[in-house]
Amino acid sequence: MNIYLPIAELSVNILLILSLGGAVGFLSGMLGLGGGFLMTPLLMFIGIPPNVAVATSANQIVAASVSGALSHWRQGLVDIKMGMYLLLGGLFGSITGIWIFQLLTSAGQIETFLAIVYFILLFSIGTLMLIESSQVIRDRIRKKTVKRKMHYHNWAHRLPFKVRFYSSNLYISVIPPIIIGYFIGILSATMGIGGSFILIPAMIYFLGMPTSKVIGTSLFQIIFITALVTLLHATSTFAVDAMLAFILILSSVVGAQLGVLFTNKFRGEELRALLAIVVLAVAIKIGTDLLIQPADVFSISVLKELY
Amino acid sequence: MKHVIYIFLSLIFYNGHAGALVIGSDISEITIGANFSGQDLLVFGAFYSDPSLPRDAKGDVIIEVKGPPQTVQVRKKKSFYGFWLNSTEVTFREVPGFYYLTSTTEINDELLNKNSISLLTPQDTQEIEWGKIRMPRDRHDFLNAMKRNKNNLDLFAVSNDLDEIQILDGNLFKTNIPIPNTVPIGNYTVSVYLLINSELKQDYSYNFKVKRVGIESMIHSLALNFPVIYGFLAVVIAGLMGWISAEMFRRLRKT
Repeated sequence: MNIYLPIAELSVNILLILSLGGAVGFLSGMLGLGGGFLMTPLLMFIGIPPNVAVATSANQIVAASVSGALSHWRQGLVDIKMGMYLLLGGLFGSITGIWIFQLLTSAGQIETFLAIVYFILLFSIGTLMLIESSQVIRDRIRKKTVKRKMHYHNWAHRLPFKVRFYSSNLYISVIPPIIIGYFIGILSATMGIGGSFILIPAMIYFLGMPTSKVIGTSLFQIIFITALVTLLHATSTFAVDAMLAFILILSSVVGAQLGVLFTNKFRGEELRALLAIVVLAVAIKIGTDLLIQPADVFSISVLKELY
Repeated sequence: MKHVIYIFLSLIFYNGHAGALVIGSDISEITIGANFSGQDLLVFGAFYSDPSLPRDAKGDVIIEVKGPPQTVQVRKKKSFYGFWLNSTEVTFREVPGFYYLTSTTEINDELLNKNSISLLTPQDTQEIEWGKIRMPRDRHDFLNAMKRNKNNLDLFAVSNDLDEIQILDGNLFKTNIPIPNTVPIGNYTVSVYLLINSELKQDYSYNFKVKRVGIESMIHSLALNFPVIYGFLAVVIAGLMGWISAEMFRRLRKT
């Protein structure tokens, strides 16, 4: 059964979109990751134009992060003040990101740009996850318990504009959260991701935030950044496909809930190792597409006319 | 139900020695809804032999379907240190968003050129922004690449199949033109040309519309005309869906 996507202007198999949304939702529910980093490239693989894939993926993440942030909010695990400083940076970052996106689109290089950044991103995530999960598996086999050290580089103490974050028990400069927010904003607007897999380690290692507050706070700020990115894309690239977003949200929320149920039944390491292999496969596909001479060196694009 | 409209051409020919043409179509518009997956456009008609012509005069028809004009950019990839990146580009203006040409006989290029039966008319060719592409051969490559890429999307075809137009009883003809699900919306023109002994004797054209209906049409016009409202709505709907799903599953888990 096909459905016509009004902004992408093509008709796609609805079951394909449902299963894509469901699978990405399932993985994100199971592993506690956003899943945007898989959603955007997979949408492009099935033929959705890159601008629509990025803008619509941001729209979908709004729903996923609201859903996730609520349970953290209820348990009081959101540092709103920290979230606000991250957002301040994110506001400027997403505007910069949209500007970069439009610049690359008019230069005809947006596809290449997305291929390169996604290759780097997915390759590094996949490799790190594979190393981490295989180490855990090896340690478990050897019956070793490893105590993980927490690094608190509090170099943020030495910068000016220090503010007290009561919720996270921190007294640090506001400059690092604003800068981190800025970069996440750029990534979000150009790649259609929430950026939690970069944001979470950055908050732990650079800001020294307590691990318990990190996920809730990152989800909190992702809601607003992806909302802003959706709005910016809707008004500048006109690429948010509400129909596609609706189907993706429906399937991904159900997938995410199933994923949460599965987490308790299987060991996390094996699942993470499996996902790492999937992520690496996607990365390698994107990478080789860049290096292999395309079947047709010519490509066409129709300029969107406003009427 | 298909509503049938017949367009009859007045058959009076002041010069008195042409064949006559009657054409019709089964649709005046194609609507793109949620489950639009393409449609066949039936073009049919009849041509009558003219008594003033010799008995062995050979009648043929050419059918041309043209979609709304678009601006198309064609880019060529080049290898930079092993990476295939877009380099040169050419912008074509007034390119029909859909083009289909079919006929009952081999058509010679001279006839097509003389009557501007082609994807790009001579004026359109003037408006091409060639950019850095100067050599005629390179320009030809770009033009062919545009046609090839549009052909892959089923948006451009020049049919070589001379039996595609069915001839019934010697003077009735009909054919189905495949309109794919990738067609742009707008006004389309169907032109039927009558050839007698390979000479263009008469042509007639009519229009039909491709338009969006239902929720697709609402989404599309809201997105383009009121992007701020559309963006806000997209965010609010996504937020609500996230909230409702979280609540629903929380309650489900409690019970």
